[in-house]
Amino acid sequence: MQFKELIVQETNNICEQLSSYEDRHTSFKELFLTKDTINFGPIKLLDRASIAMRTVILFLTVLTIYFFSTLDYQSIDVLKGFTDTFVNFKTMLLNPYAQRFTLGEAFYNVVVTLGLAFLTTLIGGIVALLLGLLAAQNLAPKQVTNLIKGFVAIIRAVPTILWVLIFAVAAGLGSAAAIIGMSFHSISYLTKAYSESFEDLDRSVIEALMASGANWWQIVFQAVIPSSVTYLLSWTFLRFEINFANAVAMGAAAGAGGIGFDLFMAGGFYFDLREVGFITYLIIAIAIVLEVFSTNIKGKLQKSI
Amino acid sequence: MALLELKNVTKNYNNECCALDNVSFSVDKGEFVSIIGPSGAGKSTLLRCINRMVEASSGEISVDGVISSSLSKKKLRKLRTKIGMIFQHYNLVDRLTVIENVLHGRLGYKSTLAGVLGRYNQEEKSQAYRIIEILGLNEQIYKRCDQLSGGQKQRVGIARALVQNPKIILCDEPIASLDPNASKIIMDHLRNISKEMGITIIVNLHQVEVALKYSDRIIGVNRGKVVFDGAPCDLTTRQIRDIYGSESEDLIFELGERHAG
Repeated sequence: MQFKELIVQETNNICEQLSSYEDRHTSFKELFLTKDTINFGPIKLLDRASIAMRTVILFLTVLTIYFFSTLDYQSIDVLKGFTDTFVNFKTMLLNPYAQRFTLGEAFYNVVVTLGLAFLTTLIGGIVALLLGLLAAQNLAPKQVTNLIKGFVAIIRAVPTILWVLIFAVAAGLGSAAAIIGMSFHSISYLTKAYSESFEDLDRSVIEALMASGANWWQIVFQAVIPSSVTYLLSWTFLRFEINFANAVAMGAAAGAGGIGFDLFMAGGFYFDLREVGFITYLIIAIAIVLEVFSTNIKGKLQKSI
Repeated sequence: MALLELKNVTKNYNNECCALDNVSFSVDKGEFVSIIGPSGAGKSTLLRCINRMVEASSGEISVDGVISSSLSKKKLRKLRTKIGMIFQHYNLVDRLTVIENVLHGRLGYKSTLAGVLGRYNQEEKSQAYRIIEILGLNEQIYKRCDQLSGGQKQRVGIARALVQNPKIILCDEPIASLDPNASKIIMDHLRNISKEMGITIIVNLHQVEVALKYSDRIIGVNRGKVVFDGAPCDLTTRQIRDIYGSESEDLIFELGERHAG
């Protein structure tokens, strides 16, 4: 009863307000359709951010004009340069042909490169699993996590090729230095990825198991790893793909063997564009196979776990 | 002798006074005790001091005749197996099945390696199965916990505590995120556990009327101090005002009246 009365009263109030408004402005419709210009400032205000943005754009424009006007072409015909490059690409991509090795040998070398990627990912994954546990904030004391995270960030900041060259001082240029260097970088990359996956598990779940008397190792294997296993696997696959690309580069740059070394010889030693094209196609094919494979596995894992 | 005894327990966080201020009480076997009080009064801290998830700053806590504050890590683990705990947000491992979560309650009894590998013996498995059946979860036994409703999750939480063969179960706001139906089921189960199995239940609650209905004894806490300790029938509106402060008087008074009528 009371409620009904209240509503009636409210409705009356609103109606009164509306009619008084119409008295002042004749009607909403008129106000809406009025053609009088209203004095309004610019829509976008000139604040610090937009001034900075405009300065940067102006600076880059000036720099670009200056660059092209003062470029020293050193008697190279720019147009000819472009056409020659285009012809080179055409030979590489349209007439691939291997004459210094058979298809079987090429596949063997691909397997060597894949082996390099697999081994470094495996070593990296195992070590990173332990370090990742110690770097996860819900599992280890803050000092330890900060120490490991800082250490790992420094390793990650230096590119893989530099680590390989550093270890080449001790191990000699070759596959040993490549494996140590690439594993080193994989460890730091995967430690960060793993520890962040572990941190996804709520602190309170760990508290619940601690309250029932479980110890650290039991909690890690019964709660933390089962909760994050899909993340762990997808990060590891991603690193495997990165390591495959790295392994090709290491074959060329650090003499680690495999298909990368063939590529280096074909390009830098024999100047054989058709062979470079062949190897490029081979590498692309392997990369696509890896991508399809890992996507499939990830899909299956997400369904089952 | 009392099963659980707290003597002058005090807890300060970061040298600020006082999450708990000189709390003393004792609880007997099979008692159903509710702890009520406003948010931030120290209810959760009080519960967590009992199983040393939070270390008390001073005072003495003894559980089943063992003084907990000086225990080594290994003995503390053993003590914790006697104390089950259930939580407002259930705190289950969502990606694992009901039976796996329930068996987690046995980890405290196992060697590190057996726990890591998840090897449970036949006796433990059949006990877990029995408890799951008592709590009415046998259809969900192989379901993943993230597919369960809130009430079912909380029952899994209770099963995990029961499979420990505990002497005490601590409940930290077990029904705060449940609807009235599920809340009633959970509270009924807790009462049966205390009456039939003789397990002491200590519950943190926000709902005064639920505390009045279910408990043998109510402890009112405000600003870390015990301001009421007695049977539900002795709890007057004046004492409720002492517990919750004067502002909330009207609200709680009304609630109390409605439930009386």
